[in-house]
Parts: sequence; structure tokens; C-alpha cells
Amino acid sequence: MKLIDSIKKDFNTMTLVLIPVAIAINVVIGEIVALLKLPVYLDSIGTVLVGAICGPWAGALTGTLSNVIWGLIIDPNAFPWFPVAFFIGFVAGWCANFGLFKSWWKVVIAGFLIALTAAIVSTPIAVYLYGGITASGSSFITAYLLATGKSLITSVLSTNFLVEPVDKIATALLAFAIVKGLAERYLSRFPRAENVR
Amino acid sequence: MRERLFLYIDRDSPLHRLNPFTKLVLTFALILIAFLGPGYYLATAIFILILIPLSFWGRIWREFVSTSLRLLLPFFGFLFVMQSLFYPGGQTVLVNLWIFSVKAEGVGFAYLTATRILVVVASFLVFLLSTHPSTLMTDLARRGLPSPLIYVIVSTLQIIPQMRVKAETIIDAQRSRGLDTQGSLRKRVRALLPLVGPLVFSSLVDVEERAIAIEARAFSAKRPKTSLVEVPDSRAQMIARWVFVGIVLLAIGSRIWL
Repeated sequence: MKLIDSIKKDFNTMTLVLIPVAIAINVVIGEIVALLKLPVYLDSIGTVLVGAICGPWAGALTGTLSNVIWGLIIDPNAFPWFPVAFFIGFVAGWCANFGLFKSWWKVVIAGFLIALTAAIVSTPIAVYLYGGITASGSSFITAYLLATGKSLITSVLSTNFLVEPVDKIATALLAFAIVKGLAERYLSRFPRAENVR
Repeated sequence: MRERLFLYIDRDSPLHRLNPFTKLVLTFALILIAFLGPGYYLATAIFILILIPLSFWGRIWREFVSTSLRLLLPFFGFLFVMQSLFYPGGQTVLVNLWIFSVKAEGVGFAYLTATRILVVVASFLVFLLSTHPSTLMTDLARRGLPSPLIYVIVSTLQIIPQMRVKAETIIDAQRSRGLDTQGSLRKRVRALLPLVGPLVFSSLVDVEERAIAIEARAFSAKRPKTSLVEVPDSRAQMIARWVFVGIVLLAIGSRIWL
């Protein structure tokens, strides 16, 4: 009973209308970042935003759908990574429930936790589906670690631990900046506005 | 930024006329068989013997080939180079390049991985090139996918092109005010906020109005909703879907028992 109620609490009409906008934010900011040729992805800002003000389950759904829709309209290579996005949204909401979205330095901690989760969840996918080498530049680091004799799983995990924190902490900070810029009257319509007051 | 939002191409072909759920089940079945089935050349066989003929049947083979190449060729090049040179446990050296050596096990592993990824991407491409997203969504709604979820997916597909246009306008406007989007790393990082800020906030403003609008149209009402569009399905396709499931189980079983 408690679990279903907790899931239901995350989803009111505002949440359902926010999620498409959040997914679109993910896609378009990801494209802007690629246009600016920055060394990060920043394609989960919307996911973290929804997680923070709507709850972990809404965040998880946003992440999953974000990957699915990215796969549908841009690149089917994105499909297998949906568990990573699921956990990014879930951990973001979970951190917010614990009050980690109330001040700048706490958000950095939240970003770090999200990065950790992302690194751990993406490793098995990279190893079993792609043999450890994905299409991003971080594979060079993986290759270097492999050449020094480490096992495949250790190499991929270490690469992810190096690469994720910068991206996810920046993501969390940007999501927090967005929340800070929204009016209280607007925020109070969302299920978990108390997470960011 | 892009002329066509979805990959869907509007053509009249038997593949296009198939029920979307059938195509979805087939896509997943092919992917599971490629990854879990027996044999080193299984993925290659699936691609050549099933996916390419399907693309001919759907009259989408040109776009199929060009999109597959565009999505996969860079990645495959990278994959082969990396795995050939750095595959752990590689012993048999084929050729020596400077300080690196190409190992046979690496090449073999790269080929296996590459063909499997090829099946994943190609199966989805065949599906996506021949299925319009709203047809898929209507069919899934009829099969019981919850309507809030349907709303979220359809709404996202509508909002993304709107947001892309907005983003383009904002980028142009900021550039005409002197924003440097091509300078040093510092400059590009500082360009991010003036581009992202207006975009995000102007998009979020609509959210409250939309929520009120759909609530006024009985969005949260629990009654079943009638669809304007009918998606055809047939008994033969239903049987075919179960056959696909059966073949997946067979593939897994043969891996375990052979």
C-alpha cells in the first residue's frame, strides 16, 4: 500500500504536463551542448528537475521516456541506456526527498550521488552490449586502462567514475538554478515543492 | 536543425500496413535472438536474411541503408580499432602497427559486437521507418497502455519540434547581440546560460496553462475513451506474434541445451 501511494503521490496533472517539457528540455539542451562542443552531455537536466519537484518515480519515468523518445527520433543507439536514465531520475528525487536540493553545496552532493549511480548502472550495459567500447570519447580512457592489464569491468567502471561526476554535478546545479528561478506560486502546484523550499 | 521529426516515411507497402504491435514484437524478438541465440554468425544471418528483405518489402531500403550507415559506420570504425588493439586476453597477433598490435581475438569480438548492435539498430529502423508514432500510440492505447502515459509520449513528440524552433530563434537572437558560440572553452561555457535560460523558462511557463486546459477536457476522468482512428489488426498477425515469442524461447533454449 505504501509503495503504490508513494508512486501515486508523484503524479498529478502538473507532473504529467511537465514531463514532456522536461524531456524536450533534455533533447534540446543536449543538442545545444553538442553545438557548443562542450565536453559534457547535459542531457538529463529535465530528468533531474522532475525528480526534484515531483518525486523519484516521476523522475524515473521522465528518464526512461527520455531515452525511449531519443531512440525513436534521433538515434536508436540510445534505447539500451534507459535504465541509467531511470536511476538518474530516481536518485535525483530520492536525494530531493532527503532535503539535498535546498542549498547549492547540498546539490553538489546530490549531483555526485547521481553520478555514482549513473556510473554503476551504465557499466553492465556498456560491458555486455557494447563490449566496453561505446561511441563516446571516454572509450579512449577505457582502452588505456585495458592496455594496462585491468579487467574489462574495472576499466569501464573507472572510466565512468571519472567522466560522470562533472556532467551530473553540472546537471544537478543547472536543474537547481532553474528551480530557484521559478515563482513560489508556480512551484507549489507540483507534488513535492517542499523539496526545494 | 532537421527537416523530419520522426524517422517515419509515408509509403504504401505491406510492411506499413502491418499492425504496429506486430512490428514491435518482431523487433524485440530479433534483438533478443541476436543476443541470446546460438552461433557466431547468427546476428549477421538475421541482418542479411531477415532485415534487408524486410526493408525491400517495406520499400524503405534506400533510407534503411543510408540511415544505418550514418548511425553506425563511425561507431563501428571506432569499435574495430579499439577492440582489435586493446581487447583483454588477445594472444594471436595478426599485424604490428608501430607500438600497437592487432589481435585476432579482438577483431573477432569486435565483429560479434558490431553485428549485434547492427541488428538492434536495424530492427528498430525497419520498425520506425514504417510506423507512424501516432498509429503506434493509438494501438498501444487500445491494448491497455495507460492514457496518461500515452499523453506524455504524444505530447513530447509535439513539443520537441516547437522547442527546437524556439532554440534556433534564441541562438540567432543571442548571436546577433554578440554572444560568442565558437570561441575558447570558457566563452562557450559562458554562452550556455544565455541560450538555455530563456528557452527553459519560456517553455515552463506554458506548463500550468496546459494542465488547466487538459483538466478542463476531462483528462483525469477514469472512463474509457473512444479513439477517432482505428488501427487494423488480423488473426494471422496475432498468431505470428506468438510464433515470434516461441522462436525467441527456442533460441534461448538451444543456447542452454546444445
